[in-house]
Amino acid sequence: MMEIFRNMLRRKGRTILTITGITVGIFAFTVMGSMALRFNKIIGGGKRYITGQITVIPKGSSFGDSAGAFLPLDTINKIAKVDGVQAVAGGVSLPLVEPDPNNPTGGGIGQQASIQGMDLESAYKNRNWTTMQMKEGHMLEKGDAANAVAIGYTVAADQKLKVNDTMKIRGKDFTVIGVLDQTLTGPDQYVFMPIAAARQLLIDSTPFLKSLVEQSTAAANISAADLAKLPAATRTQLLQAKAFKVEDLSQEAAVSWKDGQDSETVANRIKDQFKNDVIVLSPTKLGEQIDNASAIFNAIILGSAVIALIVGGFSIINTMIMSISERKREIGIKKAIGASNRSIAWDYTLEAGVIGIVGGLVGLGIGVVAILFINHKTAASGAEIFLLNPTFMIGVVAFSFVLGVLAGLIPALRASRMKVVDAIREL
Amino acid sequence: MPKTLIHATNLKKCYQLTKTNTVHALRGVSIDVQEGDFSAIIGPSGCGKSTLLHILGLLDTPDSGAYMLDGIDVMKMKSKEANSVRAKKLGFIFQGFNLIPTQTALENVMQAGKYGGMTMKQRKARAMELLKLMSLSDRMDHKPNELSGGQQQRVAIARALMNKPAIILADEPTGELDSATSLEIIELLKKLNRENNQTFLMVTHNMEVANACKKTIKLKDGVNAG
Ligand SMILES: Nc1ncnc2c1ncn2[C@@H]1O[C@H](COP(=O)(O)OP(=O)(O)OP(=O)(O)O)[C@@H](O)[C@H]1O
Ligand SMILES: [Mg+2]
Repeated sequence: MMEIFRNMLRRKGRTILTITGITVGIFAFTVMGSMALRFNKIIGGGKRYITGQITVIPKGSSFGDSAGAFLPLDTINKIAKVDGVQAVAGGVSLPLVEPDPNNPTGGGIGQQASIQGMDLESAYKNRNWTTMQMKEGHMLEKGDAANAVAIGYTVAADQKLKVNDTMKIRGKDFTVIGVLDQTLTGPDQYVFMPIAAARQLLIDSTPFLKSLVEQSTAAANISAADLAKLPAATRTQLLQAKAFKVEDLSQEAAVSWKDGQDSETVANRIKDQFKNDVIVLSPTKLGEQIDNASAIFNAIILGSAVIALIVGGFSIINTMIMSISERKREIGIKKAIGASNRSIAWDYTLEAGVIGIVGGLVGLGIGVVAILFINHKTAASGAEIFLLNPTFMIGVVAFSFVLGVLAGLIPALRASRMKVVDAIREL
Repeated sequence: MPKTLIHATNLKKCYQLTKTNTVHALRGVSIDVQEGDFSAIIGPSGCGKSTLLHILGLLDTPDSGAYMLDGIDVMKMKSKEANSVRAKKLGFIFQGFNLIPTQTALENVMQAGKYGGMTMKQRKARAMELLKLMSLSDRMDHKPNELSGGQQQRVAIARALMNKPAIILADEPTGELDSATSLEIIELLKKLNRENNQTFLMVTHNMEVANACKKTIKLKDGVNAG
């Protein structure tokens, strides 16, 4: 073992360069990997939530789009009567902070805080997420005040909010009744509020909805007699406006199924009956969609591993080939005094493995320092980008060792098969 | 009648340099070495002395011929077995600079014990004993580049003795030493031969060294001469 370090020290400059090569690769691997782990965790939590319900969205909107088509209350009530459906809850979600028109993406990396409007009257319960662990207070429930909010861990931490504090959201005052425990996933960034309050915030920030509501109120004041006198086109328009009710303002609905029912079957039943009005996202389908998304992040891990592999691997191979041709004599001597091929191959493979693990440890160390630093900086703005997972870190070190061993294998085997006379002739 | 350690007949070896250019290093050499021998192979440069020694030391294989080493038919041996036979039955001393540069004198000697299958404890004890025998007790922790040529060669001798080999093969063991040191080394080898009945077979250019040997084997152009 000591000999390995002495051999590495014999050519300090070269060893350092090789180790630097691996360090760079492993650093990238650590950082990218931790980022992917973080995203995977968020996505995984989201998946658990979203596969615990059948999500229904109106036709003409894509999933997650905030303004667009809406689900009429009437449809929601009808879906609730479908065989196998336990309950339906309409939902509204919008960003916690009104997007800045000059900077619509909000400028933040990671997930943004959002408002989740909850239909407290509904008996709906997510199958996978029946209770939320609370840090303090309680989760929003039937009978809570119209301006009550339950907030996620990160939101509370960012704004230093406790139960009974007043929270200003888009210019309005709300009372915090509960703070959720950390989940390391989506809910950390949620503000749960009664759906009516969320609807009002949505209307206030959407000029189109605002005018729709005004027209509707105006239309409601026109008597049937007056209406009959108007031209046909105007009449239809007014009738449509009159038909619009604020309660109809749900961007999506979450459907829970009765015990013993198969979620796919229930989803298909809803699909069959309402195929003209809604899109039904079955838990299985959504799970697949989410898996596709996390596959992208896993590709990031894999991609950075490949970079580490190429950069580090080649520099080890290069170094080992050079150092072996330099040490031809030494190999000759060892063989002359009886070393087996296996023992020669083992010596050099192990040396490459040690170079790999040293590079790996340094790369990991720098990566962890960088991650802690960036996480510390971004923690202030609420979104930690990296997740340091001990298993992953052990894996990284093991990976760098295996990388070294694999890269050293070919040169080491070459060294072991070297004909002794060729090596001895150089004496 | 002493035991025959090496019985080789009609060894041939050629190197095919190009399609038309073949070097016949050995054209049919025969050699016998008995237990307790102290013999020298002599002959002009390029006559095949080193090639012969390498073949006898299982570092190289002949193209044809017969070779029995201490009763083992070498021609039928696989290279894996050759490694272990080499570790246990043969010791080597080369011209010079044949120590591993990153290891101390003690570690160099111990290395041979590792391949000979000794435990760490046995290795250390024997290596220290041998270095003492070579009057190198105070140089055990020195690296080769901190030792004189003669001292390095004595470390190499200690290493060759490590696994109590049946025979020690030496290729110009004094080739890089001045004549005084050369004689000192030869005296050391002779003493080992006399006191321990250690068998030696060496290649040399040096007539003084050759004259000190009990037997000489002459080679010329890849065949036995005289
Ligand atoms: N690997 C090789 N390839 C080609 N020819 C070789 C090789 N090794 C040795 N030879 C040739 O074989 C012949 C014998 O070489 P060898 O080294 O055995 O000579 P030697 O008697 O030891 O000479 P010296 O006294 O100079 O050491 C020489 O002509 C040499 O050029
Ligand atoms: Mg020679």
